[in-house]
Amino acid sequence: MIKSIYISLFVFILICLVSIQTKSLEDSYVLKSNKSEFIAGEHVQLEFGYNTDSDVMLYCSNSYGSILLDPEISAKILKFNIPDSISKKSGVLNWKLIAKTNNLQGSINVKPKPSIKSLESYLGPPSIEAGGTDYTMLVVIPTDDLDNPMADSTKVQIKHQFLNNEISDTVSTLHGFTYKTINSYKESGRILISSECLDLNSKEYDVNVMPAIPTNFTIKAERIHNYADGNQITTFKTSQIIDRFNNVVSDGTFVTFFITDQNGNKTQTYGSTINGIATAKMLHPDHEEQWSVKAYIEGMANSETITLGFKQAISNFEAALSDDNRTITVGPLQSFMKQRVPDGLFITLSIYKNKVLVNEIQEQSYNGMANFYLSEDEYSNGSYHLEIETAGLSKTLTNITYE
Amino acid sequence: MKNASNKYLTVALLIGIAFHGTSIFFTLETTYDALIHLFFADHYSGSWFEPWNYKWYTGFTVMSYPPLVHQSIAALSFIGGLKFGMFTIALIGIILFITGVYRFSLLITSNRTVAGYASVLAVFSSSFVETLHIFGQLPSIIGISVLMHALPEIYLWLKTGKWRYLATSLSLISVTVTSHHVTPIFGMVFFIFPLIGMVIMDDAREKVQTIKEITIKVFMSSFFKLFKRIISFGMLSLTIIIGCILPYWINSKNNPITQVPIPHGSRDNFLEITSSGLVFFLIPWGVLLVLLPYIFYRYYSKRYLFFGLSITILFILGTGGTTPIPRMVLGETAFNILTLDRFTLWASIMSLPLFGEFAYRFVEGDLKTLIQDRYGAIFHRLSGGILAGLFLFMTIFTMSLGYFKPSQPQKIKMLPIVNFLNQDQHDQWRYMTLGFGDQMAWLSAQTNALSVDGNYHSARRLPELTTRPIERLENSKFKGVEGIGSLQQFLTTPEKYNLKYIFSNDKFYDPILYFCGWQRLRQLENGIMVWEKLNVPPLSSILPKEDVGTWQKILWGTVPFLTVIIAFILNVQFLLVHTLKTRITADPLYMKFKNNYSKFSKGLLKASHIWSIILAVIVGYGIYIFYIKNESHHSPENAILAYYDALDFKGFEKAHSLINPESDLTIAQYMLEVSVTDGLLSSYAKLDAISTEIISNTDSLASVKVFTDWITPLEKIKQTDYKKLVKLNGKWYLQPDDINIDLPPDQLYSDNLTKYFNQGRRRITTEQTHHEDVLKQPVLEILDAKLVKYKNSYAIVGEIQNIDNVPSDVVLKGTLYNDENKKLATYNAKHHIKHKLLPKEVSSFRINFEGIAWSKTNDSIPKTFNPDEFTPIELEEQPTKFNLQAAGNISGSDLFKNTAVSVTKKDKDYLFGNIINTGTEEVTIPQLLVSYYDADKKLKWVDHLFIEEGVRQQRQQNFKYKMIDTSPIETISEDMSNCYVNGLPNEDISDKIVADRIVNHNNTEHQQIIHGEYNFIKLEVNTYIGNPN
Repeated sequence: MIKSIYISLFVFILICLVSIQTKSLEDSYVLKSNKSEFIAGEHVQLEFGYNTDSDVMLYCSNSYGSILLDPEISAKILKFNIPDSISKKSGVLNWKLIAKTNNLQGSINVKPKPSIKSLESYLGPPSIEAGGTDYTMLVVIPTDDLDNPMADSTKVQIKHQFLNNEISDTVSTLHGFTYKTINSYKESGRILISSECLDLNSKEYDVNVMPAIPTNFTIKAERIHNYADGNQITTFKTSQIIDRFNNVVSDGTFVTFFITDQNGNKTQTYGSTINGIATAKMLHPDHEEQWSVKAYIEGMANSETITLGFKQAISNFEAALSDDNRTITVGPLQSFMKQRVPDGLFITLSIYKNKVLVNEIQEQSYNGMANFYLSEDEYSNGSYHLEIETAGLSKTLTNITYE
Repeated sequence: MKNASNKYLTVALLIGIAFHGTSIFFTLETTYDALIHLFFADHYSGSWFEPWNYKWYTGFTVMSYPPLVHQSIAALSFIGGLKFGMFTIALIGIILFITGVYRFSLLITSNRTVAGYASVLAVFSSSFVETLHIFGQLPSIIGISVLMHALPEIYLWLKTGKWRYLATSLSLISVTVTSHHVTPIFGMVFFIFPLIGMVIMDDAREKVQTIKEITIKVFMSSFFKLFKRIISFGMLSLTIIIGCILPYWINSKNNPITQVPIPHGSRDNFLEITSSGLVFFLIPWGVLLVLLPYIFYRYYSKRYLFFGLSITILFILGTGGTTPIPRMVLGETAFNILTLDRFTLWASIMSLPLFGEFAYRFVEGDLKTLIQDRYGAIFHRLSGGILAGLFLFMTIFTMSLGYFKPSQPQKIKMLPIVNFLNQDQHDQWRYMTLGFGDQMAWLSAQTNALSVDGNYHSARRLPELTTRPIERLENSKFKGVEGIGSLQQFLTTPEKYNLKYIFSNDKFYDPILYFCGWQRLRQLENGIMVWEKLNVPPLSSILPKEDVGTWQKILWGTVPFLTVIIAFILNVQFLLVHTLKTRITADPLYMKFKNNYSKFSKGLLKASHIWSIILAVIVGYGIYIFYIKNESHHSPENAILAYYDALDFKGFEKAHSLINPESDLTIAQYMLEVSVTDGLLSSYAKLDAISTEIISNTDSLASVKVFTDWITPLEKIKQTDYKKLVKLNGKWYLQPDDINIDLPPDQLYSDNLTKYFNQGRRRITTEQTHHEDVLKQPVLEILDAKLVKYKNSYAIVGEIQNIDNVPSDVVLKGTLYNDENKKLATYNAKHHIKHKLLPKEVSSFRINFEGIAWSKTNDSIPKTFNPDEFTPIELEEQPTKFNLQAAGNISGSDLFKNTAVSVTKKDKDYLFGNIINTGTEEVTIPQLLVSYYDADKKLKWVDHLFIEEGVRQQRQQNFKYKMIDTSPIETISEDMSNCYVNGLPNEDISDKIVADRIVNHNNTEHQQIIHGEYNFIKLEVNTYIGNPN
């Protein structure tokens, strides 16, 4: 029995306490302001009525940051002036009254201004590939003069021009921004893009549409004559290289020309395109030769193989020994019209002693002639076998003896 | 008389200030050390109490060098700028030195005239001239000078026990230690210990009648009598040495010098390397060498016995590596850290009092009488003339050394560089200088930008630097393989150090910069070429630093000046009294111990003569050897050596004078031939070693086989040439070589090129680049990449293509992982790649994983030089996976591609062919990239060949390439899933842009080879254009 009395007493006290507290809660601070929606930039003031304790602060927080405010007290009213730096940001502004006993809290909705000030826009990537699959994207954020994004569902026109097309699309903002992807066209060129919102126009943006990957092409060779004189230069040219949408590939596209000679030895020469045509050069061979030439843009396109024949320019040559057998004179080396070959033709002399290669000397022709001197210091007594080679021809001089 | 100013000292001061004070303006800035001290001073002028300096070595602490001199310059710089501070301190140093020598000499000789003579001689002493005007060691000079001022005070303390002298001597010791830390430590051993011995001797002398009566017993009793004073002085000075620069010692303990020793000329064998012998032995000793018998005789007399021992040790230590003794005495570590020239400097300074004494006795004392009596007055005058002549010759010779053999490059105007770094936020990255010499310190002092390099090697922290015996990256070409190797690591992975700009004053480095992927930005108006590297992130705004306690900073910032102030207060009385002669003072105690200058030892005179004759013979023989070695026409070898030497130093006129005059090769024709040859060997090579082998030699003809080793920035080149020589009129001449006489077909020809220009910021603004002005990174595609192992080293080989429409600079970074995804190593592609790719161009690549060479200090460092020396990284675990990051950046430079390559012949070891230049630029250094394929045409390896000669327009150059041996190459991983391009997965990019790629497109065009292991190769050419039109 006593136990139940205790319990009921305890419960009673508890209820009393709770009710006192609830009462004081309701009584102490009351929000007097009833406006909970503002336009950004408006002055926001919160007023609270209070009974006894005016030692309170207001905690405000929004997307911009947080602040603690002291009240202005007049006639049992606590006035809090939210500073501009906070109130000019659109969005939800949460507040909380910080007092000793109770903590009132609530929120204010700050709406952006209805008038537009600027269009913040971002475009990327700045270059895309022709063909229609690659695209660029424009992101637009219309903002008011306090830099708040406009309210959602604001209409934005995104316009672009390419060749003869001028297209305008209308999109609406969501979460403060809007975007539009713009696909490339088949042609290469430049797309100009701009946007418009509430009669405000953005500046001009541009995107370069680059040609797509190249397609197969043909090559040709240009040369002064078809003799293998080891001096003139053959020029290889591609046809105008285009992509599959007929766009000329961008300047500087790298083309490798592979030349294969009769022995399977490879020569590579390189060119880069200008207006779609790549040019590469190669020196003529110095002996009769048949070239197979094929050009590649690796992994993407290639030409057919063309063949190129070079006729022997030097039909024969003389090699003479001096009296002491120490000087070998080669020449005159005559080209296809019996003219002396241009300077610089290589002549190789291989010297064998007892069928073993002792030395190999290379000389260049000068006025169609070349001289080799075998000094006593290096080539002592004995019998030598000499082999002279030039322009794919060779001569041998056997049993040259020095004493 | 007694109280008159010493006129010799007055003269010495006047001449000294006039002579050194004017000449420092022409010498000090080109010395080795002065500008470094200037840089430190600049640091203090900006942040007196903050010891951390970010400007060098990715940050270092200035607590690694005693601060007094630097702080003094900094304090003076507030009045008239840094250089004003430096010259003022130098002047103070000169005054302190001359007066210091005077006081030290007076202490030793107890004769004012002799001390006066010594102070005059000190002005011109070649060791002082060298230290000031060649080395620029200001702290060292101030340190030793103040120490000399301290010596009389120490003597008086020990002798009299008056506390006043203890205070003055300790105050001077503290000034010494705050200006130079090594001086008081070794000064203790070599100057103060013998001084203590002398005090004890003097004390003992007072107990007995003559000096001969001093026995060990007497000596010991004096020693015990003075023991307390000695010990108290010793302990207190030790406390001061430690306490005044305590932060220095703490720093040394925390960051011990765990570096590979840097070679220093003072450790050479002076007989082998004569230039070191000249600079570190002959010059500092100078005319004192002639007087050695006198100096040793005098210092080994009983009173100075301990000085005798000291100077003997100093003399021997100063001989460096000539004898093994210094190494044994000092131990391996100390021998390799200390620069031994300081011992010679101290020995020569220690000799100055006796030099003065000798001069006094020779000019007006007993020696004069003796010589005149024995040999007559003429001989006396003559020998005096010879000695004076020698002395002046050494002084002038030393002064002019910097003029005739400049140790520094020409003075560089720094303003354009400073402006460049200030412009356009260029100081957001680190920079490096090449070929600036010690002037780099002056640049650092003037700019806020940070350098990777630095000029105070004890403060280096990066293991890439400390593991190599190089002082600076800046002059790495002089440091052989270690230097260039270290430099190459910085050039290959610059993003690790935020290194974006290089200022090059030496075109020697151009090829390595190019082949490491750097590009020329522009030439500044002072002729310095600026190189930049793309894809390097800027420095973060907060940089790491090692902080120290505030008490250390306060101690460091205040104590040095306090020591000066205290020393000044304590010594000012003496100074005023002695200079202004305000009152008559008693002579100091040491003046009691006068020497007897009346009887010059005849034996000594004789010994001196014999010694002079020996010296004269040695010098004569040396000159003869020098002549024989350098007379270029003397023998075929001499002619060859002189010829190559002339070529090496680009002395073409000299080289032409060695060509057979009957060969009709005019100097004009010769110069023309030289000017048209370009290439790695003729433009970028330094002769490293040369040896000759005479094949045949008759009276008038010789054939010589010449073996040469050339250092180039890229690799070491060994060459064997055959030269023929003729003898005409008793002189040997070289026969000229043949030149290339190939005639190109076209006189004038045209070539079309696509050029690119990047506007950068289109709007002139200091803001960050507007986002619409930022170009898209070019899209690359990694066609093939695999991790392979070849001869114990790992590499990533593969192929990369620029699949964009714009030219691209390519940076490739590979990382190796083990099975547990632990990162093992990371490195960039160095020169096994074409760094600049045109649209759609392909390059093979190889990434070597290079370790920090000789990272273990006990690894033997190869003696010979090879810049291409490759140290495979030591991996503790087996790498099984790799990550490859390719970054493209638009670049319009170095896009010359008009070089054809042709194979003409092949055998099982070699490939022969030609490089043909069909363009309009002269190719300076052609590089071949050679990719090896197996029978299935799968890529196995990428190799390279630098062709030594350049290729002129429309001409060809043949090459001979030695193929790799048949060691098997193990392919460890072909998984390309971790390949990224500009941060995006490689596969996604390739699927999007080149969806229908023709795989193995030009496989059929690979060159078939005769090789035991591989069946095909592919050749690519990369060209360095030295002088773009």
